[in-house]
Amino acid sequence: MTDLPGAEAGAEDLVRAAPTAPLGPRSGDGRRRLRDALMAYLFLLPALVTFAVFAYYPLYRLFWYATHRQPRFRNRPPTYVGFSQLWDSLTSRDFAQGLLHSATFMLYTVPLGLVLGVVLAVAAHRRLRGIKVFQTIFSSTVATSVAVASVVFFTLVNPEVGYFRNVTWLSLNDPTSAMFAVSLSSVWQNLGLTFIVVLAALQAVPEELNEAALLDGFGPVRRFFRVTVPLISPALLFLAIVLVIHALQAYAQIEILTGGGPAGSTETLLYKIADPKNIRSLDLKAGLSIGLFVLTGLVAFVQYTLLSRRVHYGD
Amino acid sequence: MATDRRSPALATAGWYVLLSALSLLVLFPVYMLVLRALSNPLEYIAQGQPLYPVQPEWDVFATAFSEADLGRALGLSALVTSIIVVVQLLTSVLAAYAFAFLEFPLKRVMFVMVVGTLLLPIEVTLIANVETMRTLSWLNSVQGLTFPFLATAFGIFLIRQGFLGVPGELRDAATLDGYGHLRFLFRVAMPMTRPIIGSFVVISFLGAWNQYVWPRFATDRQSWQTVQVALRSIGSDRVDRLNIGFAAAIVAALPLLALLIFFQRQMVRGLTAGAVKG
Amino acid sequence: MSGVTFQQVTKRFGDVVAVDQLTLDVLDGEFMVLLGPSGCGKSTALRMIAGLEEVSDGLLTIGDRVVNHVPPQDRDIAMVFQSYALYPHMTVARNIESPLVANKRARVDADERERRVKEAAATLGLEEYLGRKPGELSGGQRQRVALARAIVRRPEVFLMDEPLSNLDAKLRTQTRLELVELHRRLGTTFVYVTHDQVEAMTMADRIAVIADGRLQQVGAPQAVYERPANLFVAGFIGSPPMNTLRGVVSPGTPAAVTTPSGTVRVADRGTAADDTEVVAGIRPEDLSVVPPGGEGVVGRVENVELLGHERHLVVSCDGHVLVVRQDNGEPTPAVGETVTLAARPEHVHLFDPAGSGRLN
Repeated sequence: MTDLPGAEAGAEDLVRAAPTAPLGPRSGDGRRRLRDALMAYLFLLPALVTFAVFAYYPLYRLFWYATHRQPRFRNRPPTYVGFSQLWDSLTSRDFAQGLLHSATFMLYTVPLGLVLGVVLAVAAHRRLRGIKVFQTIFSSTVATSVAVASVVFFTLVNPEVGYFRNVTWLSLNDPTSAMFAVSLSSVWQNLGLTFIVVLAALQAVPEELNEAALLDGFGPVRRFFRVTVPLISPALLFLAIVLVIHALQAYAQIEILTGGGPAGSTETLLYKIADPKNIRSLDLKAGLSIGLFVLTGLVAFVQYTLLSRRVHYGD
Repeated sequence: MATDRRSPALATAGWYVLLSALSLLVLFPVYMLVLRALSNPLEYIAQGQPLYPVQPEWDVFATAFSEADLGRALGLSALVTSIIVVVQLLTSVLAAYAFAFLEFPLKRVMFVMVVGTLLLPIEVTLIANVETMRTLSWLNSVQGLTFPFLATAFGIFLIRQGFLGVPGELRDAATLDGYGHLRFLFRVAMPMTRPIIGSFVVISFLGAWNQYVWPRFATDRQSWQTVQVALRSIGSDRVDRLNIGFAAAIVAALPLLALLIFFQRQMVRGLTAGAVKG
Repeated sequence: MSGVTFQQVTKRFGDVVAVDQLTLDVLDGEFMVLLGPSGCGKSTALRMIAGLEEVSDGLLTIGDRVVNHVPPQDRDIAMVFQSYALYPHMTVARNIESPLVANKRARVDADERERRVKEAAATLGLEEYLGRKPGELSGGQRQRVALARAIVRRPEVFLMDEPLSNLDAKLRTQTRLELVELHRRLGTTFVYVTHDQVEAMTMADRIAVIADGRLQQVGAPQAVYERPANLFVAGFIGSPPMNTLRGVVSPGTPAAVTTPSGTVRVADRGTAADDTEVVAGIRPEDLSVVPPGGEGVVGRVENVELLGHERHLVVSCDGHVLVVRQDNGEPTPAVGETVTLAARPEHVHLFDPAGSGRLN
């Protein structure tokens, strides 16, 4: 934005293209510049205050809680015990378990969600009478919240009253299958989103490319994998990342369907942080939150590197 | 698309069969919810859980409102959602305008500050924010439910992107016509980015209405539960009243279903524009 | 009404000098065209008049007011942009009245506003489109809306930044005439930026040729064509461009320039001294084929371009390529034939090869 014009490009064109040229001359005199700056700060104030109070201050508090021990009695101040306590939280059984369960949840939801989304989108990406009806049906689950989706799956997999209560591989009573059953509710709930994004990507593939591939003699399957998949890969990548983030943030489906059970087998990292039964100490939960923060950062980093590498495909 | 060299009629029929099968897969869970909402819970179980309603109780929706306090929960959700959507729109538009059209010291730093919040979703800051609310005595309050969401990086990015699409010459023309910043914002920049702003409003509504984690922990009284949080407990205390909970879930999804039907274009655009927050 | 004066005006973007010490008087009521290749600084000069770019150095005057620090909306100017810059969400009427509504100082009451919009629309034949949006109009109509928006504020100076470049060739010719007509009717100062010499020649009262941020020459179109001040102007104005031949001034009268491929007679040698190197410039229409053995430059015909009303011979002379404009009546040499070309001595221009300035 602030780069000086390059030697070969005409300064004129650069200035005209500059996306940030303000109303009034670009290089205003002192008073105008001051007025613009004041206006900018005024405009940014509400957003930045909100972020400061409810995003950055809490981050600081997380570190504070994670490095302080809460007193046994409410009237005593917490005492500083240092980063060793944070280290203890991050090496605790709770963290390892939560991480494992979150990873399992991811493993169940991300690939299955992507594949189903692609199947729905490919099936609905064609010119047929009434295709809009099918497209609306396939998008429909975006209208469900995680909580609603969980109630929906309650009618299917609840161990007492669910329609599939006798299907062992969906049993919520069995620690080996409970997470899978919970995951299915998320896969279903995310179907609408994945369908919409993949369909939009498919519709953006130029028809000529398919026709050219057809003329080159590619069959439908090879055409799909040679032409379509590479072209929609940015969308798939984007979806994969969104689904990973959704998995890291899964909470309602667990509380509503299993309450973390059986035997803590569905307690994801966030479930342990949120800790609805309030059995963990504040400092441990703060430590786990910092762990979640780091994971979120990792995902964002991966997203950033992948997207900047593939940016030429994008859009 | 369908470039099948065999009988086109047969291929078409095949696609319809496939599409119908997939629709069944997507809709079956919904059907089960409706079925269970309408059936008398105990009778339904007694009859061996068939695929049709048993002793339909059509007044279950009325019961949900009268006995399970669904109306109050919906009202609170509507209020919280409206506040969040309106204020988010305002803060996003203003911040986006500053980033797109104004030059000022520390612009970079402030932009990074906005980007940084992507790493700090409410799930990460949950514990600390709950403690903040406890300190301020804002648990069980409208401000507690809304304040953390009055600004969003997603909205700022999306609308800034829209503003950057306003041609430079148009801005020059507005300058010569004598537009000030506010007039330019409301009379030119916003009307020209209406599609993007529309998408943002739809996505913002979707996110605010569907919230679960924050309202769940920013409240500890049943009377302050939003409809999503209320779903957890409505009717679940007694098996013979389960259908009330199922009915409530249907009602909770209706506003979004309407949104999907009437604003499909905006929703698709918003979700595909970068569903950072699905 | 008022003219525009640049006094040593400079515009820098960082280290890049876009306009370099421009001194130029645009007279009151004049149609001035700033002509130059893209990136030469002409648009920057125009945008400084508009106030869309700050003046880095020098004085810029509109009428008798120094406007260096006057905000754009208070300068009593109107501008028509290359993209027309119409508000896509407003109707034509709202677009036209925009300067009267948005600018606090220019604001007029509703009746007056309506009257002026109607008047501007009538001037440009837009009455029936007032309720439409720009997206529903053709390129030419949009261009007229942009003009209407400019005239509705009754400015002292009209600024136009390549306003015809988005129109197709036929419409461009027609709009050129309309603009000249509009200028005649309004009698206001027009400053018009273009890279198209045909636009400049056909519309301007005077042309200011700009290259590399510097003013090269100012003058009436015909004067600039007939006596280009330097090699840049010589090559930039005229199509096909002026032919150039390097040579040495040979002593004696009448003067002549001796080149490797022959001799060019010059009626007026100006300040060119004997035995100095010069560049001789000859317009294609000032060259003609003479019988073999006559005085002139000798070359080989590479190509004959038939244009219908005339012909262009492309002749290569010792590495130089010369273009000769021929009438249809003249005999056509065949491709590959060797021809002798003579220039009309009174139309030979001499330039200094080092400084590139005009010598005669």
